[in-house]
Amino acid sequence: MANYPRVREQHIAVFGEAGSGKTVLVSSFYGPTQEGSYQNDLWDLVADETGSGIRLYQNYLGMRDSATAPMPTRFSTTTYYFSVKLKSGDDESAKKRPFDVLRLAWHDYPGEWFEADPSSTEERNRRTETFRSLLRSDVALLLVDGQKLLDYRGEEERYLKSLLGNFRQNLMRLKDDLLAEEGPLVEFPRIWILALSKADLFPSWDVDTFRDLVILKAADDLNRLRSTVEEFIDTPSALSMGDDYTLLSSAKFELKEDNADPVEIDLTKRVGLDLILPIASLLPLERRIQWQEKMELPRRVVDSLADGADVLAAALTGAKFTAVEQLLSKVTKSNKALKLATKALPVLVEAVKVTGPKLKEMNEQARARHNYLRAMLTQFKLDLEQGVSDKVIRTQK
Amino acid sequence: MSLDPTEPSQLIWATRGRLWGFRFLLNAGLTDPLPAYERAFEGLVDAPTVWHRVGQEVALRLLDPQGRRDSAGRVIPHEFVILGGLADSVGSVDDGMHQIWPLVEHAYASVWDSDTSPTSADLRFGP
Repeated sequence: MANYPRVREQHIAVFGEAGSGKTVLVSSFYGPTQEGSYQNDLWDLVADETGSGIRLYQNYLGMRDSATAPMPTRFSTTTYYFSVKLKSGDDESAKKRPFDVLRLAWHDYPGEWFEADPSSTEERNRRTETFRSLLRSDVALLLVDGQKLLDYRGEEERYLKSLLGNFRQNLMRLKDDLLAEEGPLVEFPRIWILALSKADLFPSWDVDTFRDLVILKAADDLNRLRSTVEEFIDTPSALSMGDDYTLLSSAKFELKEDNADPVEIDLTKRVGLDLILPIASLLPLERRIQWQEKMELPRRVVDSLADGADVLAAALTGAKFTAVEQLLSKVTKSNKALKLATKALPVLVEAVKVTGPKLKEMNEQARARHNYLRAMLTQFKLDLEQGVSDKVIRTQK
Repeated sequence: MSLDPTEPSQLIWATRGRLWGFRFLLNAGLTDPLPAYERAFEGLVDAPTVWHRVGQEVALRLLDPQGRRDSAGRVIPHEFVILGGLADSVGSVDDGMHQIWPLVEHAYASVWDSDTSPTSADLRFGP
């Protein structure tokens, strides 16, 4: 069948300095899903490229069985494509669903590319290309290294200013190159989540503690970074930076006292990794609705924000995809503000705003009916709700 | 071109410091050593130590013999591509440790703890 499987692709950019935990994060995201004991009644997670999947699982096993962290990433970048493949369900619901596979593209690269110029011409070219790819993502996570915060305890502003300043400088270096062809970019990550990596080092912290520290110690630097990013994009008012925070921990590392070698890496104690798929797939849709309620967005921007909102909304609510698609098309063509759009599109708003017991009920119904796509997306929303309630993630209200 | 007569000419050496990131400190006279480095290490597992011969070249990875670490606490790896006649006598990781490491250890000791990445002028290979 030519149109099978129908794939929806989301890109996530994880920015972080060398040693901030990017490779461990992606390994710990993927590894547990490959264990023999792993069970998920809605979907299977697979790496599209077998070799990459094996390498990530090898990293994971090294941590789990030998307390060995992966070698540092050096000189090159790898984009891991993960497919969340829905279970088949009954023929009818599977046939009607707007997509069968949610694909997540996750770029991993050497962290030092943010800190200094490469020593090789080819590496310099790769860095530029990688940043181009990263900056076309739907959502960006900017990692704040928990170990560095500990190292700078009491003067965390030194680290935070350096992190945000270096990142800003690197963006500035790329600016002319990125804007040369078409001017301000329409397609660009508009949701930037500050993520505390190695959050296991701060067992008493919740996401509010982290956010308060960043704002207390580095609000000006965050504002400067935000201003810089605004210079890159079309409709800078549609940008979230400094509004969303999360805690991430790939594992609990027990270290030797006399050096930093891990004695044990407990990969069952992960924080925030289960939110990656919900963040990548649903947050752009939610943010699109929030922005459209507040401001008038040009059609080109609406189209780039949560492109495929129609697909997601239809899948979440169970509405007929073609009907939603037609309605959305009318609204975006007429380039009206969202106040109008929300009236015209209750289905889109319903998809985003359904919460609490109603959402749980939708999830249970979808599971009972073997409507796996709807069950997965409602589960993602439930996971995000739980993350907020557990204070692991804080999103713009 | 280096003016240091003690600089090993048949080595590509990639490593990092405590604070500065991975880079090539020796390039065996190549304009860009990255392609040769990647050919030599292609398909090899990310193990802490590696010895692999392809034709006339040897790919060698050692963990820092003094256990020096980067700022994230990881023991620093040193990766070499050994070319020409120098490669003939390196038949194992152990050979690498005894024959290749002494060629660079002095230079590394003086730069590994720098705040910024070293330039070729910062590297002194002789004792």
